Amino acid sequence: MSKILLVEDDEIMPKIVARILPASEYELHHVSNGKEAFEKLDSTNYGYDLIITDIMMPYANGFEILSKVKNRERPIPVIIVSNAGNEDMIMEGFKLGADDFLKKPIIPAELLIRVKRLLMKNK
Amino acid sequence: MLDIQVPAFLEPAMNTFRYAPLAIQLAMIFIVIAATGTLLAYFSILRSRYLGYRRDKRLSYLLPKVDNLIIEEVLTNPEVTETSYSDQLILNTEGFQELPMHKKWVREAITGRIMHFRRNVRGNMGQMLRSLYMQLDLDKDTMKKMKSGKWEKKVQALTEFINMDMSISDVTILPLTNSRNRELRAAARHAYIKLSKNEPFKFFDVVTEPLLMWDQVELFRIISSTEDIAIPNFARWITYSSNKSVVSFCLKLIVHYNQLPAVPAVIKLLDTKDHYLRANAINCLGKLRVPDVEEKLVSLYSSQPLHCQIEILKALGRISSGRYIDFLKQEFLHSTDFDLRKSAAKSLVKNEWIASQVLRELIDTANPENLRILKHCMNPLIKY
Repeated sequence: MSKILLVEDDEIMPKIVARILPASEYELHHVSNGKEAFEKLDSTNYGYDLIITDIMMPYANGFEILSKVKNRERPIPVIIVSNAGNEDMIMEGFKLGADDFLKKPIIPAELLIRVKRLLMKNK
Repeated sequence: MLDIQVPAFLEPAMNTFRYAPLAIQLAMIFIVIAATGTLLAYFSILRSRYLGYRRDKRLSYLLPKVDNLIIEEVLTNPEVTETSYSDQLILNTEGFQELPMHKKWVREAITGRIMHFRRNVRGNMGQMLRSLYMQLDLDKDTMKKMKSGKWEKKVQALTEFINMDMSISDVTILPLTNSRNRELRAAARHAYIKLSKNEPFKFFDVVTEPLLMWDQVELFRIISSTEDIAIPNFARWITYSSNKSVVSFCLKLIVHYNQLPAVPAVIKLLDTKDHYLRANAINCLGKLRVPDVEEKLVSLYSSQPLHCQIEILKALGRISSGRYIDFLKQEFLHSTDFDLRKSAAKSLVKNEWIASQVLRELIDTANPENLRILKHCMNPLIKY
């Protein structure tokens, strides 16, 4: 079972993602800001197969999470899910090593496929 | 003197007031007014906090139920995975009917929640949320808000219509695009562009008020970020609109969509008496890189005000045909205005593919100030 960390400050999105990613295949953990994400990653020794993160969040934003995760010896794949349509922000995300970007509102099937593809690629 | 009946317990205070000197009386009146005002302010703060507390309490009870119902009915609906989703699908709304739907705040909370879900998902799930909104008759509430006399309600209704991708008749929305209220006007224009599938720019025909700069920025963002929007030839408004701000905005859109068929209309605009509009037209032609207009621009140059001259020099740089190097060199060397010299130098640098020899000569022979201008313009890290 793949372990996924969802970093999202929106209260609805975790409910949606939990429905999109079946519990039988994915173990989804949710934190609502960057600070909690760092705590979670530290406490689990970065034991996640994938991180899905928003960009604009309190305490630490998605880019900070991304740069911390990607600077490790064994980087964890990251999907950015954000409603930021600004091209510079998207490019910044990819420059920092994001593996994929999905703009909100998302198409559920698209998220599922991209999650599957990234997990397959990194197995 | 008015004989006002006062309660017995206030009698001593009234006597004190009545026999006090005028300055003291005024001070007492002031103290009473200030104390009453402070009490009223405190009361109003307490009241709004209490109402907020009650609202939060009610919502904290209602929203999880609404979320569960939406998740059960929409997110886990088997139709979600179907490749084509029909708007005619009847959703099971029984669970919602068990909520106190007759209460306005409940319906508003459900509308807000459906909108929140739709901000996060699209595709079949988004369509189902829209169907749910309609099957719960929440669109009727939105329509009521639309008919309200209060502009905030109207803006709220327009936002809901946009989020739910509901169509609104032109008769309802077009007059609002000219509203005197700035917020409402912007929301109506936004809604018109988003919701009118065939002619999203029709409101340009009826705009009487000028499009303010901020309005233009907002409209530009909406137009360029709306998917599946029918883009017309903006030359239509360049030619016929009497609203200068609309013409100016259309020039920017022509550049954004690289509408070369609009070039003849923009060239005609060079004859306008409004020199700000003329400068915008020159800017547009330069950005469209139309080499045929260079000759006309150069012939106009000497009779133009400063900002039009600057735009002409910039346009020659953008078009970069290499035909007017001597003209640019002359302006750089002999113009008395700093901005003109800077624009001429910048355009010479943009024509570098053919003017490298001229640039070398100028660097060798220029006075200290011109040399600084040239070096500034030749630095690829400096944009302006």
